[in-house]
Amino acid sequence: MLLINNLSFSRNDNIIFQNLNLSLINRSITQIRGKNGSGKTTFINVVLNFLESKTGEIFWEGKNIKKNIFNFYNKTTFIMDHNTCTRKMTVLDNINFWSRLSSSKLSKDEISLLLETFNIQKYQNTKTMYLSSGEIRKLELLRLILEQKKLWILDEPYNHLDDLSIEILNQTFIDHINKDGVILFTSHLKPSIDNLEVVDL
Amino acid sequence: MILIQKIFLFFKREAKLFYSNIADLFSNILFFFLSIFIFVFALGADEQLLRNVGMGIIWSLLLLSSTLSLRKFYEDDFNNSVIKIIHMGGISYELIVFLKIMSHFFFVQIPFLASIPIACVFFNLPINEVYYLILTFIIGSFILSCLGSISASMNLLNKTNFSIGSLIVLLFFIPVIIFSIGTNNSESDFNSLISLLLGIALIFLGISPWSSAAFIKLALRNK
Repeated sequence: MLLINNLSFSRNDNIIFQNLNLSLINRSITQIRGKNGSGKTTFINVVLNFLESKTGEIFWEGKNIKKNIFNFYNKTTFIMDHNTCTRKMTVLDNINFWSRLSSSKLSKDEISLLLETFNIQKYQNTKTMYLSSGEIRKLELLRLILEQKKLWILDEPYNHLDDLSIEILNQTFIDHINKDGVILFTSHLKPSIDNLEVVDL
Repeated sequence: MILIQKIFLFFKREAKLFYSNIADLFSNILFFFLSIFIFVFALGADEQLLRNVGMGIIWSLLLLSSTLSLRKFYEDDFNNSVIKIIHMGGISYELIVFLKIMSHFFFVQIPFLASIPIACVFFNLPINEVYYLILTFIIGSFILSCLGSISASMNLLNKTNFSIGSLIVLLFFIPVIIFSIGTNNSESDFNSLISLLLGIALIFLGISPWSSAAFIKLALRNK
């Protein structure tokens, strides 16, 4: 479980958020909701230690994440609000890179099945620069299943997705929670997921 | 063991990117040869004159044409945050910088080596000077990769003016040029000059991973 204790962050004397407490237990899904520019992405970056917080600590399974940051990263999948696939590599090359980087145990058949569910199988050998932004987004979200980590942190996962993909994504979230996972995501939308905890920023 | 696999994975990705960007390399080499032609035509057909100035001109043009590619050093990976993904995969920023320097050395600088003997033909250089040139270029290009990593990481947030980055490389490269050209001089001791060059290479190999990693962290924080 992830415990966020008394977290505050300010940029140039401009307080983004202050004294934030949050505890994400296993089998829970939490949404950070807020209007544009309210600091959702900044909050995610502070949680992942890419930005230095002003006060407060973050604990993962009882240990301060700063003590062993790679131990925390090893259990985390982070989907950013922009695309991280390499534009000049093909879809399959990108997937192979991600799965080997995270030492994933998924077999080739499972990966092609995944591509089929997201309906991007026909682009396997196309360079990602020729895909539409919705398709690239779906490719990004494949990393969730590919990396098989316990904690999922997502920044605006619903961007560019069509209705069917949003449904599949919500179903994937529910499956992950049922498998003892933890999910934290930001969005300004109101997705229809049962037992969703909402934190307003 | 897993770390070694990840290092190989990194090089494999770099190799793939290199093959998809191979036109960049060819344009750099083309720039190198065209500027050599311009020098040869501008100096005239005096064989002795060309032979005297040849090594200096080849060295400075090699330097200029390899600085052309330095801008791309971290830019793509930084802009689409692949650097963050690789870092979360368990590789520290320092190691990323070191691997990036090595891959730049292998994939960008080493192909230039093949073009040096051809360039030497235009200046009618004697064969022992060609050997010296190739030997000093192997060490010098490694120093160039280290320097390029520092200047490229300093310029990650600078979207408009990259010439400042090239200035740093050119400034710090002056001693390398002095020692490399010195090997050609019959009065100077060849072995001691090579040791000096190797010393400079080791200094920059020590400095650049830490400093570049610090600049990358700073840039990610202010992105």
